[in-house]
Amino acid sequence: MNLLLLGNPNCGKSTLFNLLTGLRQKIGNFPGVTVDKKTGAVLMDGVDYIITDYPGIYSIYPKSNDERVVYDALKQLNQDQQPNIGLVVVDASNLERGFLLLSQLASLNIPLVLIINMIDVAERNGVCIDVEALEKNLPSTPIVVMNARVGLGKDRLLKAIQRQTQNLTPEKALSTDEGLLDIEDLPQQEIHTKSHYGNAKTLYEKIVLVKEPVKKKHQMDTWLTHPILGYLIFSLVLLIIFQAVFTISAFPMDAIEQGLQWVSQELANLLPKGPVQALICGGIIPGITGVVVFIPQIGLLFFFLALLEDSGYLSRAVFLMDRLVRPFGMNGRSVVPLLSGMACAIPGIMATRGIPNSKERLITLFVTPLMSCSARIPVYTLIISVVIPAKTVFHFMELQGLVLFALYLLGILAAMFVAGVLQRILRQDQRSIFLMEMPDFKPPHWRNIFVTIFDKIKVFVVEAGGIILALSIVIWALSNYGPSEERRAAVESLKTENRYISADKDQRKLIQASVLLEHSYLGKFGKQLEPMISPLGYDWKIGIAISSSFLAREVFVGALSTLYSHDQTKGTVNLRDKLTHDRNPDGSKKFTLASGISLLVFYVFALQCLSTLAVSRRETGSWKIPLCQFTLYGVFAYLSAFICYQLFA
Amino acid sequence: MNLSELPNRSKVKILEITQPYLRTKLMEMGVVSGVEITLTLKAPFRGPIAFRHRNTQISIRLKDAECILVDQLTP
Repeated sequence: MNLLLLGNPNCGKSTLFNLLTGLRQKIGNFPGVTVDKKTGAVLMDGVDYIITDYPGIYSIYPKSNDERVVYDALKQLNQDQQPNIGLVVVDASNLERGFLLLSQLASLNIPLVLIINMIDVAERNGVCIDVEALEKNLPSTPIVVMNARVGLGKDRLLKAIQRQTQNLTPEKALSTDEGLLDIEDLPQQEIHTKSHYGNAKTLYEKIVLVKEPVKKKHQMDTWLTHPILGYLIFSLVLLIIFQAVFTISAFPMDAIEQGLQWVSQELANLLPKGPVQALICGGIIPGITGVVVFIPQIGLLFFFLALLEDSGYLSRAVFLMDRLVRPFGMNGRSVVPLLSGMACAIPGIMATRGIPNSKERLITLFVTPLMSCSARIPVYTLIISVVIPAKTVFHFMELQGLVLFALYLLGILAAMFVAGVLQRILRQDQRSIFLMEMPDFKPPHWRNIFVTIFDKIKVFVVEAGGIILALSIVIWALSNYGPSEERRAAVESLKTENRYISADKDQRKLIQASVLLEHSYLGKFGKQLEPMISPLGYDWKIGIAISSSFLAREVFVGALSTLYSHDQTKGTVNLRDKLTHDRNPDGSKKFTLASGISLLVFYVFALQCLSTLAVSRRETGSWKIPLCQFTLYGVFAYLSAFICYQLFA
Repeated sequence: MNLSELPNRSKVKILEITQPYLRTKLMEMGVVSGVEITLTLKAPFRGPIAFRHRNTQISIRLKDAECILVDQLTP
C-alpha cells in the first residue's frame, strides 16, 4: 500500500513524516531532478505502508521543477499496480488554500485522508473549525485533526488510514489521470484552478469561523529586515555559522584523522607485510578518512541551516539578500552555500538544494568551489611564508596577512564574475517568479533538525563516499607503484650516494620514500608535466605535489615535504626553510616571488578536490557539471598563474 | 495604482493581477482580486516587498508587485 504525503509548503508535512517514520527513512532522488525523495515504512496490522514525502505544493499544476515531481507522480498513479491513498496535510490556520489543493486532488478520484495540522497555532489565532460540518461536506474522506509537533492525533491518523484502506474498492484503488490537464496548457489550468478556488472558498466560509483575530505584533520582522540593523544581524549570524563550521569542526576532524591513523598503524602491525596490508593501511583507511573527515562540517552547517529554516529566520535573510545577489543570477538563498564554501565547498554544494529555481541553483553550485575553503589554508600559509616577506605595511598591516586576505577576495570576485557570465549564457528553463512565504517565527523543532543532519550525512557518505574512496585508492596506487625495475634501480643507486650513507635510520627511510614517490606512476606523471608547468614557474617537484593534491588540496604540503625530505642543506629542518633555500642549478632561488604568487593564484582557482567533484555529481545527477567545473577552473588557474608568473618574473 | 508604489503598512484591496502566471500562482495561495492585504515589509535597495493576507506573509519582487493593481484603503 502506497501513501502519498501531499500538502502546501510550511504545513508541517515533514514534521508529520518524521513523526510517522522516525529514522527509518530512505532518501533518494526523484528521477531526473535533484529533489530529495524520502520514503519510509509503517507496519500496521500486517499491512506494510510505504509513505513518500512529496515537495510542498500549492496546486497540482507545477510552477517549478520541484513541484513537477508531484504532477508526474499523479500522472503515474493509474499505471501503478499498487493501490494508493493520498494523505493531504493542511495548515489549520490556512485552510482556504489547503482546501484548494484538496479540491483538485479529490477531482482526480484518489482516495484521500485529510489531515488538519497545527491545530494549536490555529486555536491561538482564534480559528474555529466545524469538523462535523466538514465531514458532511466530504463524505468519503476521513478527517484527522492533529498537532504533529507534539504527536497529537497520530493514533487517530493511523486508524483513519486503515479505515480508508478497507474502503478501497478495486476500481477506486486504481485512480485515473483523467481530469489532469496537460502541463503546458496554462490558460486551461487557470480556469481549472479558479473553479477549485471557488470550491475552497465556499467550503472555507461554511466551516471556519474566525473569532476576534488576535492582534499580533510583527516588530521582530521590522528589525530583521531593517536596512542597517537587518544586514548587521545577518552578518553576525553568518559570522557565527562560518566560525562554527570552521573552528568547532576542527576538533572532531582532528580526532577522526588521528583516530583512523591510529587504526591504520595498529593494523599495519597486526597484518602481515605485503600488498594487502599496504592497500588497507595506505589506500583504504586514508580513503575512508577522506570521507569521514567531512562529516563534522556537514553536520554543523546543516545544524545551523535547519535551525535558521525551521525558526523562520532564513526567509527574512533571503528577503534581505535577494536584491544584492540577483545581478549575478543568484537567489537570496545562495548566500548560505557561498559562505559555507569558505569553510568547505562540500556542505555548501549540498545546501544549494534549498534554492527553488534551477538556474539559480546551478549557478550557485557552479561557483561555490571558487570560495577559498579551509583546505587551501595550509597551501596558502606555506607559500606565503616562503615568498612574501614578513613586514608591516601602512604602519599596522602585516603584508603576509594582507596577501592571504587578497587571495580570499580574489576567490569571491572570481565567483561573482563566473556567476555573472553564467547568468547571461544559461537559458532560463522555467518562468522565474520569486514568490516566497515568510512563515511566522516559531521555536525550532529539534527532532526535525536532527533528522535533517542525519539525512544529509547519510546522503554524503552513501552517495559521494563511494566515489571518493574509489578514486582515493586509485591515486594512492599511482603514487605507490611504478615500473618496478626502475624503482629498484633508483633505490640501489641511492644506497651508494653520500647523503644516504651519512644519514641515520629515520632519515634514510624518508629519503627512500621521496625517491620512491619520484619514481612512481604519479611521480612520472608529475615529471612529464614539467614542460607544461615551467612557464608557470614550477619544477617537477611541484608538478608531483599538484598531481597528488588532487585528492585534497592540503596533500600538496605533505607531498612536498616527502619530496624535500632528503634535502638536508644547511641543517634546515622545516619545509618552509627548505623551500626558501632551494636553488636552481644556476644558483638562483627556486621559490621566487613570481613562482610563489603564480602557485597561490593557481590554488585559488583550480578545483583540486575529488570530494567536491563527487558531491557536485551527486547534486546535479551527472558528471557533466563537475567536469565542466574541473576543466574551466583548471584552465582559469593555468592561465592566471601563467600571467602572474610572467608579470612578476 | 500598483502595489510597488505604496508605503509600508498600507492596507489595500486588490483590483487586478495583470500577469496571468502570477495571477494563477497567487490564486493558489488565496490571493485574488477583491481580497484585502496589508503591505508589511520592504527590503532595502528596491529589493522584494512583503504583504500579509490573513495568517500568511508573502514576499515578491518589486517587478512582480507592479503587476498587482490595487485600491488603497488606508495609508
